[in-house]
Amino acid sequence: MARLWGTLIVMAALLFTGCADSYHWSSSHPAYTRAPYGELAVTGLQKAFVLTRTKWFANRLDFGDSTQIKATEFCAKAMEKEFHGGYTKLLVLPDSVLDNAPEESQKLDARIFMKGKLPEQGITVTAPDGSVPPQILLIHEVIIGTDLKRENFFDYALIHNELEDKREVKNISAIVSYTLWDNVKQRPLFSAVDEIQHPVAFKLTLTDLEQLMRQTVQQIRKNMYQGVK
Amino acid sequence: MKLFSLVAFVFVLALHALVASSASAKDIYFDSKWTLWQNADILIWTPDKEPAIDTKEFCLSLRRYNSGIGEPKCRLFGEWERDTVAMRYATWLSSNLEPGLEPHLLKARHPAMMAKFQALEDKIVLYIADKGSNLQIAIFDETASEPKAAGTVMKTNDKIALGDEIASAFFERHTKRRLTKEERLKMETEPDDLYKETPTFRSWAGISAGYAQARIPLTPYNWYKRKLRSRVSNYRATRDSVSLWNFMDDSTPLFTLYAGGIWFGFIGGEIFYRYSDHAVKTDDRDSVYEELDHWDFSQHEIGLNVMFARTYEPFKWLDLHLFAFLGFQYSFYSEDIELKSSKKKPSKEYETRFKTEDPYKGALFGFGTQCVFMQHYGLSVRTGISSRGKDVYVEPSPDAAAEPTTIGASTVDWFISVGLEYHWTPFK
Repeated sequence: MARLWGTLIVMAALLFTGCADSYHWSSSHPAYTRAPYGELAVTGLQKAFVLTRTKWFANRLDFGDSTQIKATEFCAKAMEKEFHGGYTKLLVLPDSVLDNAPEESQKLDARIFMKGKLPEQGITVTAPDGSVPPQILLIHEVIIGTDLKRENFFDYALIHNELEDKREVKNISAIVSYTLWDNVKQRPLFSAVDEIQHPVAFKLTLTDLEQLMRQTVQQIRKNMYQGVK
Repeated sequence: MKLFSLVAFVFVLALHALVASSASAKDIYFDSKWTLWQNADILIWTPDKEPAIDTKEFCLSLRRYNSGIGEPKCRLFGEWERDTVAMRYATWLSSNLEPGLEPHLLKARHPAMMAKFQALEDKIVLYIADKGSNLQIAIFDETASEPKAAGTVMKTNDKIALGDEIASAFFERHTKRRLTKEERLKMETEPDDLYKETPTFRSWAGISAGYAQARIPLTPYNWYKRKLRSRVSNYRATRDSVSLWNFMDDSTPLFTLYAGGIWFGFIGGEIFYRYSDHAVKTDDRDSVYEELDHWDFSQHEIGLNVMFARTYEPFKWLDLHLFAFLGFQYSFYSEDIELKSSKKKPSKEYETRFKTEDPYKGALFGFGTQCVFMQHYGLSVRTGISSRGKDVYVEPSPDAAAEPTTIGASTVDWFISVGLEYHWTPFK
């Protein structure tokens, strides 16, 4: 009887508190046994970046005009630089390698779907120099903004909700969705959506944005290690 | 001797298991419940230049290993072997088919490939890929764009043995008759088996037999002890007269006729007539009863129930209605008393014997279930508690003391009954 009550209490507790933390934000293929080490190919660093609240950023960063374009370019460069720091042999593939690939959605959780281009089954991606990288990190989308929450973008039950308008910005944030692709067997080894928050102390500077990208890459690398089965 | 034979039996069993495991040249990764049709059309699809098995021999293997398969037709699936998208998926599958993978990880992702699977229409695709020492096998049908079964078999040069191996590993199962074009069309337009609208009104009539007693199950006996042990002396005297069970035998068979109806499967009503026969509990020690042949009361009750129900449909042929009911009833008692034929004139006590009131008013409540088979034939079980009583309070009058006491002011019993019913829906 005590056991029954215990179970009921646990169930009730899960019911009341569980909703926010119950998402799975990553999924691994059973064959994902080794995280990339030292060597990696990455693609998506050209078109994957989106800056939200452009005006807010434009007011604080001194890009002059076309903040959207310049800020995303800046972030892409910062990310690439950070990847270079993490992998001695980093191969950056142009986004065009996936031009002919269909866009597909991958299911991470009951309500979490991420969209992105994946190479076709039976077709290996070839680098411009003719080599075939064994694993490719496909960056699908990087959303940069202020105080973003990933469930508002990836939980299909919440995506139509309007975000509350916050007067005070606490963090700048990045949400990144990516897939580690097995280029030899054409299968997704590890897929995830990450959310990174970087606190804004007094004044927003480019260093903050660079710092955000650095944390993003660190988060991706950490998750790829933890996702190994 | 018995022990020896048991040991020998276990040994033979173990030997069999050993032989079976060592001789098995196949490894089945997964096998879902896919449908194998009679006279199946089997299309052999391979990414290799030459198929590893012979189509004609494979057909014969199928007939050897599955007697119910009828006359299967096997051929190479040239259409897919000439198709780029299909061939890409075939080579992809060959490099990805590994043990421990769930079928959804082997799904064809290309929309054109998915469309090809959907267009198969009852044909079974047998995928065979040569991996050197063994052959990869996968089976597809129109219902999914992922393999329904997958595994490997050991490769041998004997194509007949290879066909036998594949047939025994993947095709030993019950077969189903294929539907004709017309049947298929009909199946598609036919409503779901379990889809049924609740009728606006459903009615029934039934007859039931059961049992009633004063004691309600799971209640202590000493609540009833006084009533059950009570005996009638001198045709009228008992310790107390609150319950009729002080006078009559409480545990008797119970028969009911009833008819009812329910709206929207939710709220309904029922009218009923119940009959039971109760013998008077005369005190055997009392010599006054020597003149008596028998003394019974027939209990007739009519009443109305209101009921609330909830319907479940576990099968196509069975509707299960669970209900609770609450109602009121009028009870009438008709006396059946006769003296022994030898006795000419009854005693004085006989003339002043106790009388029941007409009618008693009461309430009843309970719950039950109706199992309705084929929408018409019902079997019903119900149980409940019913009461009958009389307003004890009357206006005080000067003659009050001379009036006879009202007996059975509060009589309660428990009943259970099983009924046969016929159900129908008078208007749709």
